[in-house]
Amino acid sequence: MTATTPPLVSIRDLRTWFHTEGGVARAVDGVSFDIGAGETVGIVGESGCGKSVTALSILRLIQPPGRIEPGSRIEFEGRDIVTLGDEEIRDIRGNRISMIFQEPMSALNPVFTVGDQVAEVARVHADMSRKEAWNRAVEMLALTGIPDAETRARQYPHQLSGGMRQRVLIAMALMMKPALVIADEPTTALDVTIQAQILELLVELQKRIGTSILMITHDLGVIAETTSRVIVMYAGEVVEQADVDELFAKPHHPYTEGLMHSMPHIGHDQERLNVIPGTVPAPTDWPAGCRFRERCPYSWDLCEREHPPLYQVGVAHVSRCHLAIEPERRNHPHPPLVVEEGVAAA
Amino acid sequence: MSGQTRDFAPISSPRPRESPLALGVRRILRARSSRAALVVLGIIVLAGALAPLIAPYDPAAQPDIVALKDLPPSLAHPFGTDPYSRDVLSRVIYGARLSLLIGVLATLVSLTLGVAYGAIAGYAGGLVDALMMRVLDAFLSIPRLLLLIGVLVAWPRLSIAALVLFLGFTGWFGLSRIVRGQVLALKHAEFITAARALGASRRRILWRHLLPNLVSPIVVAATLGVAHVVVLEAGLSYLGIGVPQPQASWGNIIQDGADQVAALWWMSLFPGLFIVFTVMTLNILGEALRDAYERRS
Amino acid sequence: MLRYLARRLGQAAVIVAIVATITFALIHLAPGDPFSAVMDNPNVSERVRATLRAQYGLDRPLPEQFVRYVNQLAHGEMGWSFSHDRPVQAVLATALPNTLLLMAIALVGSFGLGILIALIQVARRGSTTDHTLSAISLFFFSMPDFWLAILALLAFTYWVPLFPVGGAVDPVMHEYMGLGARIVDRLWHLALPALTLTVLAAPTVARFQRAALLDVLPADYIRTARLKGLTEREILRRHALRNALLPIISLVGLSFPALLTGAFFIEKIFAWPGMGLAIVNAIGTRDYPLVVGGVILGSIMVTLGSILADLLYVWADPRLRAN
Repeated sequence: MTATTPPLVSIRDLRTWFHTEGGVARAVDGVSFDIGAGETVGIVGESGCGKSVTALSILRLIQPPGRIEPGSRIEFEGRDIVTLGDEEIRDIRGNRISMIFQEPMSALNPVFTVGDQVAEVARVHADMSRKEAWNRAVEMLALTGIPDAETRARQYPHQLSGGMRQRVLIAMALMMKPALVIADEPTTALDVTIQAQILELLVELQKRIGTSILMITHDLGVIAETTSRVIVMYAGEVVEQADVDELFAKPHHPYTEGLMHSMPHIGHDQERLNVIPGTVPAPTDWPAGCRFRERCPYSWDLCEREHPPLYQVGVAHVSRCHLAIEPERRNHPHPPLVVEEGVAAA
Repeated sequence: MSGQTRDFAPISSPRPRESPLALGVRRILRARSSRAALVVLGIIVLAGALAPLIAPYDPAAQPDIVALKDLPPSLAHPFGTDPYSRDVLSRVIYGARLSLLIGVLATLVSLTLGVAYGAIAGYAGGLVDALMMRVLDAFLSIPRLLLLIGVLVAWPRLSIAALVLFLGFTGWFGLSRIVRGQVLALKHAEFITAARALGASRRRILWRHLLPNLVSPIVVAATLGVAHVVVLEAGLSYLGIGVPQPQASWGNIIQDGADQVAALWWMSLFPGLFIVFTVMTLNILGEALRDAYERRS
Repeated sequence: MLRYLARRLGQAAVIVAIVATITFALIHLAPGDPFSAVMDNPNVSERVRATLRAQYGLDRPLPEQFVRYVNQLAHGEMGWSFSHDRPVQAVLATALPNTLLLMAIALVGSFGLGILIALIQVARRGSTTDHTLSAISLFFFSMPDFWLAILALLAFTYWVPLFPVGGAVDPVMHEYMGLGARIVDRLWHLALPALTLTVLAAPTVARFQRAALLDVLPADYIRTARLKGLTEREILRRHALRNALLPIISLVGLSFPALLTGAFFIEKIFAWPGMGLAIVNAIGTRDYPLVVGGVILGSIMVTLGSILADLLYVWADPRLRAN
């Protein structure tokens, strides 16, 4: 992170908690990071780690019983999103910050044409006439690589394939040339071949329009392909953050290690998939101390007593792991406690 | 977003298997509206049940057909008197008894028929099922009131028992569809375990698995069914083809006052209010039960 | 689409055939002769008795009577109404348009009102407004049709004389009025019955629509709409409603029976000269052929109504229209 230009988005101590009958689920529990202008930042982690909730929080899309706790700050273009009024936040949505989800199947309204839905963005935010908005929509659709955009725009969502629908959603997201696009698992629901195309498209459009992208995924392959900086999340927290090359070359946090290790490689002879044993603890009941302790092959008594802060472990590289102060413990791995105590492995 | 919040629903301990009855009662007692409904309905039912004890006058007595007829509500006659000098309050209380009784009995008939028809259709399958469903469609296309009018005009001077039967015979259509659906679903599921099924025990499996699944829709249908019958009987009595005179039912009382509806407004107002409250409470309870069972599945 | 229509009409024909069989059974299963009220009544003319005997072949074997019956129905003949001294189909044909008028207005009105109420409720879900409207809805839903009609009559023609006491037109003056005045006279007589039927039918629509809207709100495309920066109100009215209207269309077909039976009571109480009034009066005079004719006609109306609603549904949903 260069200290010279101020970041586009600056998130500080974001806490999004869900106040349910069964307890308070602390889905996002003190997350801080920046996104620079024109940058592609990735958030990687398994389901339930809080990455999607983080994304939704940025656009204030959390609905009761969820709530962004006071004290959280999301600074964007000089304002704090957390405290903005309703009208102001609506001004940002779809206009300055937009979002793409993983379910292109259901994200489009089945009773309106695709063109109408894309054009709607312009009619809400710019004072365009129907015709102008429509033309711009068709332009955008063509830009995302949809062949015969004029005809397609008049069709309904069910007449388009999954990949095309995702392109439509991308066009929708980029209509107003936003400063930031949040992409939440944009390719997970798509065929592998289409996945590659969509990712390429995102990268190309980003270069062309100059937006920043926040790429949320569980897939390290996507991270490697598209991002320049990576944030690893676990149990509602940031557990590691580094430039993408550094992360892949020198992962520090045992969880990141585990993630990398569990990726199957083509060409390697492997009979069994490597998994990280155990499961994520319940968000209503984060353990004191390190939240990864029970699944970690290096943990020791300090990890149970003290919740690790983010240690600096390299240039622009932080990790929430006590191994930063006792690195020689990495040479003495042991079976993770979940396995020892007979709790069912993943 | 819906996916996200669902991930954070509390992981509660699995619910102990409780009977549908207990589940329904619990749900009713939990919400304020259904508790209130239960109380109000209870009062009306109790009033009807205890009619001989609490009615101030004999509902059939016509003490003074000259001096005491057509009296507006007063302390002596809180609901006034009718053209035959009968006390309307007493008649309304006895009306509760009769109208609710008819409602419950007719609904029982409907339930029996509905379950039987639906079970047979579902179990038989194939051509028999298709034919039975067509016949069902035909019955469904005739509005219930119309069908009853058609039937009741042909049978003048009906006894109450016969009225109950006819009301019951016309109210089973919806339930039989639901039952048939359940039976069909079970038949297909049953084929999966066909290896374990022996010839005779298929019927027993159906019996043991079918009934528990049926209790919920039956209970809901029963509650809402009684409400329908109460309104229907009132309508038929109002038209003169329901409960025969001089018996008191809510619809009958309104009919007695129909000729002078403006002058004898109390004869329309009070029985009608009782009908509305009975139906309202039954609806609230029925919806609460439906809520309880739907959430469980 | 045309093939679908043909198929549904075919099914409808089967249904009407079964209905005809049911009514025939009704006629003949009744104790004694359903026409005994006519046949044994010394005041009924011999002409009528002869007509009935010829029409129904009352002294012929049952199967033959059935064939005759079906044959007559196929030609649109429904027997003789002795209380009107006219063929049944003539009586019904005159009365039917009035009932259809009433039902049509109530259909449009109840759906408009019901949808409006549902939108208000969902926009303020969980608030006091929401709960109050639900309670009021339930209150009107639980009323017997004839009771509301009586109350409306009392309230708005007797106690506060805003509307005429009944009928379709002014019995005395209508003939002498100019065209404009005649239209106003008709509307004035139509107003209260139509309004009453509307209020009776609206709660069902409101409850359905409210549930449908709440079903649609968690959908992904609603989230997309929110992401675009639309206000909650725009989202509700533009995106949610359009989808939530689809299940309501099936309610159109389902509400025909209720509208028809509601119209019966309304017509009786407001003396509106429709099919309902004719049949209710036929009950009193035991004019059985007219009653049976009404039953058949009623079920035809309901069947056609549901076909209409199904067609409407296919037209409204772009996902189905393409096929």
